[in-house]
Amino acid sequence: MKMQTNPSTRIRTERRTVIRNYIRLYLLLIRTSVRSRMQYRFNFAFGTVLAAIIQLSEFLMVAIVLAKFGAVRGWSMYEVGYLFALMTLAKTLYRTFGNEVHNLERYLVEGELDQLLTKPLPVLLSLMPRGFRLMPGELLQSGAILTWAMGAMMRSGQITWWAIPQTLFAVFTGGLILFAIGMATAACGFWTTRISMLQNMTEDAAQTAARYPLTLYPGWMSGLMLTAIPVGLVSYVPALYILRGELGVWVFPLLAAASCLAVLLALAFWRFGISKYQSTGS
Amino acid sequence: MNTVMQSQAAIEAVGLNKQFRTPIVAEGKFAGIRSLFSRKYIVKEAVQDIGFTVEKGDFVGYIGPNGAGKSTTIKMLTGILHPSSGKVMLSGIDPHRDRTRCASRIGVVFGQRSQLWWDLPVKDSYDILAHMYGVADEDKRRRLAQFDELLSLGEFWETPVRKLSLGQRMRADIAAAMLHDPDLLFLDEPTIGLDVNAKRNIRSFLKTLNEEFGKTILLTTHDMDDIEQLCRRVMVIGGGRLTYDGTIEGLRREIGLPTEIKVTYRDGYRLPDAMTESSHMQIVSRSEDTLTVEVNRQEVRTMDALRQLGHWGEIDDVEMREPDFEEIIRRVYG
Repeated sequence: MKMQTNPSTRIRTERRTVIRNYIRLYLLLIRTSVRSRMQYRFNFAFGTVLAAIIQLSEFLMVAIVLAKFGAVRGWSMYEVGYLFALMTLAKTLYRTFGNEVHNLERYLVEGELDQLLTKPLPVLLSLMPRGFRLMPGELLQSGAILTWAMGAMMRSGQITWWAIPQTLFAVFTGGLILFAIGMATAACGFWTTRISMLQNMTEDAAQTAARYPLTLYPGWMSGLMLTAIPVGLVSYVPALYILRGELGVWVFPLLAAASCLAVLLALAFWRFGISKYQSTGS
Repeated sequence: MNTVMQSQAAIEAVGLNKQFRTPIVAEGKFAGIRSLFSRKYIVKEAVQDIGFTVEKGDFVGYIGPNGAGKSTTIKMLTGILHPSSGKVMLSGIDPHRDRTRCASRIGVVFGQRSQLWWDLPVKDSYDILAHMYGVADEDKRRRLAQFDELLSLGEFWETPVRKLSLGQRMRADIAAAMLHDPDLLFLDEPTIGLDVNAKRNIRSFLKTLNEEFGKTILLTTHDMDDIEQLCRRVMVIGGGRLTYDGTIEGLRREIGLPTEIKVTYRDGYRLPDAMTESSHMQIVSRSEDTLTVEVNRQEVRTMDALRQLGHWGEIDDVEMREPDFEEIIRRVYG
């Protein structure tokens, strides 16, 4: 009996095996990282509680803004609450899985990246599981605001149940976009080593700004937030359609395409950055 | 096809250069951001035009003073740093173009860093690494049993890595680097900070790997005993350039340090009046019956030196001491 295998199918099966192995390894590394962190139970519990408290205080800030101004440039209190919650959920998604990309500076400064580069895995695959963490504080807070805002808008008939799967979709693409921005910013560190200043702009400030309707900002700035640092695509653009019926259903394929493109571009930049990695002296 | 594969050298480095460019940025606000756009750089030539070939089964020592470019070279060989120019091939694989494939075939140990999971028991790290490198359970068990025999890993099997002594950690780390059975092993200062016992332990393991398992090993070290006891070949790097590549004996010869000859005479000796004539031989110390002289063997053959010493009295005993390797290195490092 002769076994005939088409070379292209063989390559495809091989690739599938590789990907399956990567997924299995990813899960194993996440388990490992959680187990490592559990060695310091108190620290873990305390950190989680602290994060929840910080989130609560942030929520109070927003609540004050909403209570005081109510509507912002024609956006109702509920709509602004929705923008805020959507951004926080997307950020939570990004930081749950990609926190270590955000923390890359530590690896660059201490030369820790050396060890990851000697492993037979893509650097992101060994890096990301190390920072995996559950963020119950953020989830609870943004979940509560979202329920409150969407509940009110549903009762008033502004939105229907359809808004729920649409919102979940936007959380997912938003998480991808924030991850791409985070990865591209971190990759600058391969040249500069220090990245926290840059992160203040491209991540923290940009995310905070995009919690409000972009109409608040001058044209060049909102333009920037839709292109170079596309945080506007995380909550503002989806909200335009989901809440107000502006734009069109094509928003969803657009979000999907934009988030994938952002990740691919960031990935290419990241790969190029790694070839410029300088390590540290020993 | 097969014969080509077998004839490939374990390491082939050609014209390696590495420049580090550090942007110059004035201190002050937004320094981090401004450094992104800065056009001025301080360029440091860390490694310049280094080339060598290491054959399979070799044991090579790579030495040089701090900051000479040792670690930079090792990091280029292992795919961590991309050379500014030049090329590396490890058994025919380019560690930069094909990093992950290359990484699965080499072992790397950095003495100053651990690749183990800090907070978990040692054995857990091996389980994770076995998954990472696709090592079958059976192979893992067999190899670990072997390593345990040679490195006594058993005594700290269940201990979290952070609680290991430096010597234990290094043993665990070297075993980890060999778990996927690579043919080529890089070690950057594997004996740094270890006590005599731990050093001996590690050396004998490396020797076994090289002699019995045929592994190719390249190590950097500041400990000259490592070099003397393990390496058949030494490469010296200074100021980013390869300044010597050859055997230890050759290095000794090249430096031309004097050999010390201590002669004991049966009934005392009589020095000739005109000692200045034989400038090749210098008297270091003398006592009633013994005379210690330094001879540069590049210039005088030992037999000639002994013949001359024989003229001064009846020789009872001769003791010769080759120059200390530490001393050679001190000269090399300048």
